[in-house]
Amino acid sequence: MPANGIAIRVENVTQRFRVIHERHDTVRELFSKLFRQRSSYSDFEAVKNVSFDVPKGQMIGLIGRNGSGKSTLLKIIAGVYRPTVGKVHVTGSLAPLIELGAGFHHELTGRENILLNGLLMGYSKAEMLEREQRIIDFAEIGDFIDTPVKQYSSGMYMRLAFSVATEVDPDVLLIDEILAVGDAGFQQKCFDRLRSFKQAGKTIAFVSHSMDQVEQHCDRVLLIDKGSILAAGLPHEVIEAYQSSMGLEVVGAH
Amino acid sequence: MIELVRDTYRYRELIWALALKELKIRYKRSVLGFMWALLNPALLMLVLTLVFSTIMRFAIPHYAIFLLSVLLPWTFFSQSLSYAVESIVSNGDLIKKVSVPKLVFPMAAIVSNLINLFLSLIPLALLVPAMRHPFYWTWFYLPVPLLALTIFTLGMTFFFAAANVYYRDVSHILQVVLSAWFYVTPIIYSLDFIPPNHRWIFKLNPIIYVINGFRLAVYYGALPKAPSIIASFACAFISLFIGFAIFSKYQNDFVFYV
Repeated sequence: MPANGIAIRVENVTQRFRVIHERHDTVRELFSKLFRQRSSYSDFEAVKNVSFDVPKGQMIGLIGRNGSGKSTLLKIIAGVYRPTVGKVHVTGSLAPLIELGAGFHHELTGRENILLNGLLMGYSKAEMLEREQRIIDFAEIGDFIDTPVKQYSSGMYMRLAFSVATEVDPDVLLIDEILAVGDAGFQQKCFDRLRSFKQAGKTIAFVSHSMDQVEQHCDRVLLIDKGSILAAGLPHEVIEAYQSSMGLEVVGAH
Repeated sequence: MIELVRDTYRYRELIWALALKELKIRYKRSVLGFMWALLNPALLMLVLTLVFSTIMRFAIPHYAIFLLSVLLPWTFFSQSLSYAVESIVSNGDLIKKVSVPKLVFPMAAIVSNLINLFLSLIPLALLVPAMRHPFYWTWFYLPVPLLALTIFTLGMTFFFAAANVYYRDVSHILQVVLSAWFYVTPIIYSLDFIPPNHRWIFKLNPIIYVINGFRLAVYYGALPKAPSIIASFACAFISLFIGFAIFSKYQNDFVFYV
């Protein structure tokens, strides 16, 4: 168990993926194994021996290029992937906003999706019914709540999803690159909510490509590159390091 | 196995919600909606009754009841499997984004088909007096074979759903297996039609014991003998143990293959 005051502890985590080239998904694969044909896969380490702690009440930002392993790391914390090596401890309840509206079903109404989504995150029906009205209010969905979500605008969809994930009041919130959507007003509302989350002693892990958002809201930032932590520290330091490394590469490419 | 009971209980509301979602989507956009769950078996019964009382006359009286008493549970079994075999793969997007016990998906497929089975028993219960077939008190015994059948189906479901994650051929193979299985099981015929010295082959079929319980209770107004009941539960639990052992061994890797 992690020490007191630690909300997320990631210990020596490595995540290996088997990348199958020319994938068949079929019995043919089985036969090719049986007959010891040339194997058509390779292993790829998306996260390599990563360790870090996030104290309670902090908002940590994960930055890095596309494919650097940020999202994989978030999914490991969320329990979607069981890491190949290493351990993850999360203290308290956790809401994974790996993707807004994952688990929403297009044919179901907003109200039905609120319930289903809450149950998927491990909350009970009673808890969800109790929060239903607040979720609807925060999302500003109004009368559309009893309409199938396939008829929602993408903004409404995102608002509802964000509202469900945060209104359930988790101790740890994981956010993957989602606050880029929605109009400015709603974005502001989202960040206000995240701030009150932090004030309530809750912990947030935040993946983003928006350096402004990261600099403004995060307490600490990890720079991830090729599955490893390249730098960790205060937002402006790490962001500077990241931007200068990006810049160097652009220069180097010429 | 403790994990199975614990997670089922813990996620019972989710399983129920997923099952209702499945039914809702199945009957969506049809004018009669949920009524189809009742109408489908009712219309099937009408056709069967007409065919077997006028065109094809068997030496079995009230053949429609004879047939339906086991055809309805069989339909539950085969439909559950057909739905559940895809349950992990078709929820792949979800599995990749939310940490949720994988067993809820095959479970939900079973529950939604159980609801369908219960609804289809209503027209059967109406058909019995309509055909002037006696309504036996042994109907009250039906929960027993129903329990055995559900456990048996659950085990098979876990196995096929897990296998289908790794080899997508499984869902196609399953359809062939199910149609062959249908004919080697005494559903449209009776085991009495088989010469006595060949019957032992049929008795190797693990689903025959539980199927027999349904027909005895509804059509003959009798209860199965103790060895047959024990055999039906033995087959059910063997299926569940093997199926769930395989499922739980691989479930953490499903996310890499869906």
